[in-house]
Amino acid sequence: MNSLKTMPHPKANTPQRLRHGSHLPVGAPRRRNRRRLQLTRWIGLGVFGFWILVALFGPLLAPHPMGAFVSDQMFGGISAAYPLGTDYMGRDMLSRILTGARYTVGLALVAACLSSLIGAGFGMLSVLLPKWLEESVRRVFDTLISIPSKMMALVMVSAFGASIPLLITATVLSYAPGAFRIAHSLATNLATMEYVQVAHTRGEGRLYIAAREIFPNMIQSVLTDMGMRFVFIVLLLSGMSFLGLGVQPPAADLGSLVRENIGGLSQGAIAVIAPALAIGTLTIGANLLIDSLSTSRATQKE
Amino acid sequence: MRNTLFGLVAGRLGASLLTLFLVSLVIFAITSLLPGDTAQQILGQFATPEQVAALRAQLGLNQPAIVRYWHWLSGFVTGDLGQSASNGMAVAQLINDRLPNSLILAGITTLVSVPIAITMGVVAAMRRGGLIDRLLNLVTLSMVAVPEFLVATLAVLIFAVKLNWLPALSYVSTVDSLGDAMKIYAMPVLTLCCVLIAQMARMTRAALIDQLDSPYVEMAQLKGVPPIRRVMRHALPNAVGPIANAVALSLSYLLGGVIIVETIFNYPGIASLMVDAVSNRDLSLVQACAMLFCGTYLVLVMLADICAILSNPRLRNR
Amino acid sequence: MTRHDNNSHDNRRDNKSDQLTSPQESLQIYRAMQRGLSRRDAMKLLGAAGVLAMGVGGVPGLSPAFAAEGEASPQRGGRIRVAAHSSSTKDSLDPAQGSTAIDYCRAYMFYNGLTQFDPDLRPQPCLAESFETTDNGSHWIFVLRQGVTFHDGKALTPQDVIYSIMRHKEPAVGSKVLSMVEQIESIRALDQRRVEFNLSSPNIELPSILAVSHLVIVADGTQDFSKGNGTGAFRCQEFSPGVRSVGVRNENYWREGYPYLDAIEMVGISDESSRVNALLSGDVQMINNLSGNFAERIKQSDNGLLKATNSGNYTDLVMRFDQQPTSRPAFREAMKCLFDREQIKRVALRGYGEIANDQPIAPGTPYYFDGLPQREYDPERAASLLKQAGVAGATVPLVASPAANYSEDMAVLLQQSAAAAGLKLNINRVPADGYWSNHWMKHPLGFGNINPRPTANILLSQFFLSSAAWNESGWKNAHFDQLVVAARGEPDEAKRKQMYADMQTLIHDEGGIGIPVFLSDLEGYDSRIGGMDRTVPLGSFMGYLFAEYVWWKG
Repeated sequence: MNSLKTMPHPKANTPQRLRHGSHLPVGAPRRRNRRRLQLTRWIGLGVFGFWILVALFGPLLAPHPMGAFVSDQMFGGISAAYPLGTDYMGRDMLSRILTGARYTVGLALVAACLSSLIGAGFGMLSVLLPKWLEESVRRVFDTLISIPSKMMALVMVSAFGASIPLLITATVLSYAPGAFRIAHSLATNLATMEYVQVAHTRGEGRLYIAAREIFPNMIQSVLTDMGMRFVFIVLLLSGMSFLGLGVQPPAADLGSLVRENIGGLSQGAIAVIAPALAIGTLTIGANLLIDSLSTSRATQKE
Repeated sequence: MRNTLFGLVAGRLGASLLTLFLVSLVIFAITSLLPGDTAQQILGQFATPEQVAALRAQLGLNQPAIVRYWHWLSGFVTGDLGQSASNGMAVAQLINDRLPNSLILAGITTLVSVPIAITMGVVAAMRRGGLIDRLLNLVTLSMVAVPEFLVATLAVLIFAVKLNWLPALSYVSTVDSLGDAMKIYAMPVLTLCCVLIAQMARMTRAALIDQLDSPYVEMAQLKGVPPIRRVMRHALPNAVGPIANAVALSLSYLLGGVIIVETIFNYPGIASLMVDAVSNRDLSLVQACAMLFCGTYLVLVMLADICAILSNPRLRNR
Repeated sequence: MTRHDNNSHDNRRDNKSDQLTSPQESLQIYRAMQRGLSRRDAMKLLGAAGVLAMGVGGVPGLSPAFAAEGEASPQRGGRIRVAAHSSSTKDSLDPAQGSTAIDYCRAYMFYNGLTQFDPDLRPQPCLAESFETTDNGSHWIFVLRQGVTFHDGKALTPQDVIYSIMRHKEPAVGSKVLSMVEQIESIRALDQRRVEFNLSSPNIELPSILAVSHLVIVADGTQDFSKGNGTGAFRCQEFSPGVRSVGVRNENYWREGYPYLDAIEMVGISDESSRVNALLSGDVQMINNLSGNFAERIKQSDNGLLKATNSGNYTDLVMRFDQQPTSRPAFREAMKCLFDREQIKRVALRGYGEIANDQPIAPGTPYYFDGLPQREYDPERAASLLKQAGVAGATVPLVASPAANYSEDMAVLLQQSAAAAGLKLNINRVPADGYWSNHWMKHPLGFGNINPRPTANILLSQFFLSSAAWNESGWKNAHFDQLVVAARGEPDEAKRKQMYADMQTLIHDEGGIGIPVFLSDLEGYDSRIGGMDRTVPLGSFMGYLFAEYVWWKG
């Protein structure tokens, strides 16, 4: 089953009907699950939406400037004045998270979408390209994936200096090849399916086949992969800041907030727990949303 | 079919050589682009210009880039990996000292993580939307959502510092018995599993669901084929391609990407060798490590593709 | 004429007094100072560290470690593992190439110098039984100790000394101390025991220079250093760069009764929190290079002790004379006024440091000039100076890096206080990778980090002389240059002191560097290690000399 039904399909009646024929009533369990999926979706949407809002308006709500030294107590606990305690230098943790979330959410979202778009796009199209072109594309991505991301980051920062677009470029270069790998193997499998072969014999164009026959059938895996890439990118950003490529002090993304306060872990400082939880909720929320999106596409068809 | 497989492997090996060559070119270019050269890095903060010049001459850095590259390449092709510029030891020796450690860690992690991940993915796909599915989903997501260095540091804090059950550092040299080995590898493997399982389990689930939704599996369901058999006999074989690729991608991480684990547990592996080599601009060592990582990756994805082809007869004719 | 005799090498003093920490005892020290004890001696009473933190648990005010250490005599035997903060494939047993603490420690483990630093940083005889100068520092004669053998059985000869020192002058050796050795014109053997050093200009500090870890004595003609063949207290059993090294007791060591330990394993753990965890879980017994954050954790632990040493290590703001806007004197003065030194010490260092005064000679060292008025945090004055320099309200980039200790924290603090004076500093954090060759001294406003040098003159010659390769700010002052050179050959102590005072004043007033604080060296060690009250304020691990002085209480 696939989502073809939701997309009008003027030319190709035969394959569609073929699959309609095989589309059979499904038993009770799935119907029961749908309500749960709804719930998951709302949770995902709620959590992720919350972080989007924080990213947009967080800095306005921050009680202190993120770089201000407000307290003499380092790794201070939860208090009325500092609801999330203070960091290793006595700065207000709540303000730092509210300001830092913008970098993490924005950068990771853009980088994950771009990686998946580039990776999956090439992965899908290359299957339909002539053999030699497909091979060349694969060589390029295989080469990219074999270059250590630290080297890539270092050379980029030394050549172009540190900036946000550069950070995104470095991230995409590290993560698009993986997305390509997955998408390519999915597409190769799908390209052998009867309905794709039929479309070929019908004389459909490559783009049409890619968009109408292959893409809808691999969307679930591609989205799942993108969700994972989002997580990896959120975590990668802190490493990049460490190399001087990322966000410049006193600002910090969520991963860097965890890293710079790691010294407080043994005393259970809220300064390290809070940003870790922030990363957790952000990435889990995003993945729940993605899961429910792709699954709902499947259920819509019924 | 044996012929097609053989042809594929031969073709792939050819393509791999090409990729290796491309990678070596790019790595060479990047290393040359990086600010500072070996001589400066060796001499450090307080180098004088005369010393840098002398060391450059000694290391042959005055030759044009193309000559140096050719020198390296001709050596590499004949099996001579060259000498490390930073300490004069043979690159082969340096790699030989560390590679077994990396392979053991990667091997154990694979043995632990792959079965767990695939089982989790299959179970989740079978119970799609159910409680187990959602629970597994949440567990895998939470595991991967915690930064690696936090997991590792927390594990050390609990198991080594507070409880004193395990050593905080993983010294291969002190292994005498199986018990020792388990103690040493417990935390690094745990940390790496947290990173890897999520990706593999989730991709397994997604790929299986794509298949379970397909007409032929629904047909099987109608015919009354029990769920476990539906998954194992009908859906799984067709999902092997993407799953194998996800596994290959995850495993390729185990050699070059485990720098955080190597750093925190002070495990002498190949990833930290590479990082040292990059910061020392130690070209032949960087190249050797890069060739190793790239080669491993290519072998892994080739295995993944072979798995895919064996499981999908239609691909064999492509 | 300086002459040292040979029995003063034993530096283990009665250290009971070093452990005084209670208020009454501090008062005693205070009174002692009133009576005329020099500040230096008072520092010694306090264990030179100033701070010697004890583990909790035990009699209040008198920690168990103190009670035990006071009486216990050194024990022989035992094996410890020591973790330094950095280690890479670049590690070398060639003393000339030593670049981090782990290299320096190994150099002193496996080799000996002609001289050796004592806790007051005075050079004491080591492989040289005695040394003297006949003409205020141009010619020196060192008499070698007899019966000293290398680990491979070869006897120590003058040829070894000549080879060991002169090889540093070969550029291709890549010596880290070329600038110190350049003044040694030639060395010749007078007979089987005596060597003569001829200097290009007088330097009464030659014995101090020869005590640094790079100038230890190797066997004549050595090219392959991987065996670590020296005369030191430990033999090298295993050495794999970037992984670990093991030294075992040298049974033929010339110094009677030393070392105490059977074996020392040295490793590098670059991640600070891993290093601390390894100490607290008992996997390693000594660690170095801690930041204030982690120091507290060790203090609160049951089995770890903290040692803080003020050794004159500093991270400084470098303001280049050849770039804008730092070429303007008013701007430089304004930046120096913008350091809230108390805050930097409290917040960035967690109190583990000393307030500095924009000159590099640390309080407590022989030539420190205490008459220099302290420059205070003064945003108003800075604001008017900035206006005077014509940069009020401007935005200036400030380069910081993990390579220079604490520079990121200092940059953030400076950014805040600069904002109060209407100056916007844009922090540009660059990677530690390649920092020293590509960023240090290359930006108008950046940070440097200078490790302690054995003598004030070496420090000033290397970093402030107009012609110095590492003249960080590019400051040029002919009067200062004259003073540096003259002080080397000045035999009169009082005159010399005055010269150093003048130099400090010049740097403080006109120099292009801002030194907000001196950083303490923080180390952690297992409470079962004995002998840790000995301090050589030159760096961590007892000035890297710990190996033969510590013992294991088991």
